[in-house]
Amino acid sequence: MDYFLMLISAIFVNNILLAQYLGNCPFLGCSKEKGVAFGMGAAVIFVAVMATAFTWIMQKWVLEPYGLGYLQTLVFILVIAALVQFVEMFLKKMVPPLYKALGIFLPLITTNCAVLGIAILVQRKEFGLGMSLYYSFVASLGFTLALMLMAGIRERLVIARLPKSLQGTSIGLVMAGLMSLTFFAFKGMIE
Amino acid sequence: MSIVKEFTKGLWKEIPPFRLVLGLCPTLAVTKTASDGMGMGAAVIFVLVLSNVIISLVRKIIPKKVRIACFIVIAASLVVSVELLMQAYAYPLYQSLGIFVPLIVVNCIILGRAEAFAAKNPVLMSAADGLGMGIGFTLSLTFLGALREIFGYGKLFGSAVFGPAFKPFTFMVEAPGAFVCLGLILAAMNYLAIWQSKRAGLPEPAIAASCGGCRACAIGESKQIVEG
Amino acid sequence: MILQSLLVMLGLGLACSAVLAVASKLLAVEEDPRVEAVLEALPGANCGGCGFAGCESYAAAAVNDPNVPADRCCAGGAGTAAKVAALTGKAAGSAEPMVAFRRCAKTEGNVKKLYDYQGVPSCAAAKQLGSPDACGYSCIGLGDCMRACPFDAMYMAHGMVHVIREKCTACGNCVRTCPNHIMEIVPQAARVMVLCSSQDKGKAVTDVCDAGCISCMKCVKECPAKCIKLEGGVIRIDHAACIAYGPECQEVCAEKCPRSILRRLGATAEAHAHAHVEPQAEKEAVA
Repeated sequence: MDYFLMLISAIFVNNILLAQYLGNCPFLGCSKEKGVAFGMGAAVIFVAVMATAFTWIMQKWVLEPYGLGYLQTLVFILVIAALVQFVEMFLKKMVPPLYKALGIFLPLITTNCAVLGIAILVQRKEFGLGMSLYYSFVASLGFTLALMLMAGIRERLVIARLPKSLQGTSIGLVMAGLMSLTFFAFKGMIE
Repeated sequence: MSIVKEFTKGLWKEIPPFRLVLGLCPTLAVTKTASDGMGMGAAVIFVLVLSNVIISLVRKIIPKKVRIACFIVIAASLVVSVELLMQAYAYPLYQSLGIFVPLIVVNCIILGRAEAFAAKNPVLMSAADGLGMGIGFTLSLTFLGALREIFGYGKLFGSAVFGPAFKPFTFMVEAPGAFVCLGLILAAMNYLAIWQSKRAGLPEPAIAASCGGCRACAIGESKQIVEG
Repeated sequence: MILQSLLVMLGLGLACSAVLAVASKLLAVEEDPRVEAVLEALPGANCGGCGFAGCESYAAAAVNDPNVPADRCCAGGAGTAAKVAALTGKAAGSAEPMVAFRRCAKTEGNVKKLYDYQGVPSCAAAKQLGSPDACGYSCIGLGDCMRACPFDAMYMAHGMVHVIREKCTACGNCVRTCPNHIMEIVPQAARVMVLCSSQDKGKAVTDVCDAGCISCMKCVKECPAKCIKLEGGVIRIDHAACIAYGPECQEVCAEKCPRSILRRLGATAEAHAHAHVEPQAEKEAVA
């Protein structure tokens, strides 16, 4: 597939959050302020690309040669958990400014379905290593975009007059639905 | 705290996706039809009950520092077994659930219940909690699935409910429908809770917030979540 | 097959834990345990009143920077300052207790409404359309400051905000939030204060408000301590100098204010009221 087409597809048409339903917890939990949303998004981009690289290597060099494909889930989550922990330590020591910006989000990401989801998706789509990395980057870029948009809307929602029972997560989900509907319009772009 | 109470709280009072707002990804993704939702629920019941039991059994051996990592490994092993079981006995379901079967491992419900309940309570209680929560999750998924299937396809569990004149409301089975439906159900649950406590003369309850139990999204509490 | 999967998982687990164990030794960062101790002593409201991004950055600064005093936390007050001082080995000092003050008296001045604002209930939103009051320096009264207050020290009544002095910690969130900039942080012991923030000239003020400050400069001229100034069209009082000068001046500034908008505050006002009442009472007793 063309790289540009992949970019459009992953960010707009098959947005990982709005069309594939991955990563809803941070989508609703970390979308109250734009700053927090951006930090979360950046952390997801960072970790998703690294995790895809490592899990791709594990899959192709260890699991497949020995016929252990069924251990995929277990191995992937272990690798991601260890990787996140390692990255956190590494950043703390080597790049303190980056750690300050992303640090608090890193431990939260291990249990983010978007990261594990992307790692498994590229295996199911049978991409090569380069393509996998590219896909993980653009997909998490789409995640960040959706998160930022949502945060922008929610900053406005705070001052809106809402019925009490609709406040919070409830209206957040309805907004997500409307955003998802908007993104639906991009569907015609790729056929 | 009796076992019955632990069991029943998951069915209504703390029903996972609607009141605790846990495990939203599968709730949205696999509820295109009622049977998909039910299948997903069954898989989650299996993993949740067993992970609660195992974690409760080993809760005194696990060092505090690496407990989350241990919970994840236990859950992941169980998810792998569910995957294999489904491949063997329910292949069509496995295919229609797709990527969300392996993703049970990062479902907030599993870790949330492990951390909030199983790590502190004896085996039988944890099993009851897991079963209650699992059944509550299944019921919610089936309900949402049925709702979307009825309006989106005009069917329920695969058999038509409306006459041939019915035009399916495609919005419901696509992604936007899932978000809006869940949002409105949450609002209805909130409304009900507010109405109930008003009638009982109690102060208004807190509105359900996202990720009530899993803490994975609670910024600032990252110190307690130490992986590895 | 069982053996193989066991071996792979065992190997992977060992490899991961080995890497992490080595990394935790090699990449260990010396963390100052004092920072955490200071952080625990702080209230954790992250109000930003200390001038740092949050409690954590203040804790780090208080421990590492000898120039950052221990008493910057206004939310915690003296107790917290003493704890932080003990932990960082700094002199606690005595932070002058401060309080937020609303510089507006629009209800007394009968400020007219320009239009009936029906939009989103937020001062900032209303300000976008131009202030709904005829005076552009009034309390809009939609409660942005009240929502910004982390300590529930403000409430709305009669279209204006009111500060609960006992709860206010002078964190300054309201000062930063108010789109009309009518909030000011003053010492709790401040003797006098102007209840108006208008930067307009006298005529423009009298047109819209019966009470506002017309910048007549009487107070500036009368003050024997020379601690009142007109800056940017607004009367500013150097409270430290005013308190230091003492009660000798009998608050002549408030006495001479033709609009009675520069007023005595708190204890001073009460003492003054008593001083007026008592001679009268004596007279009556004599009569």
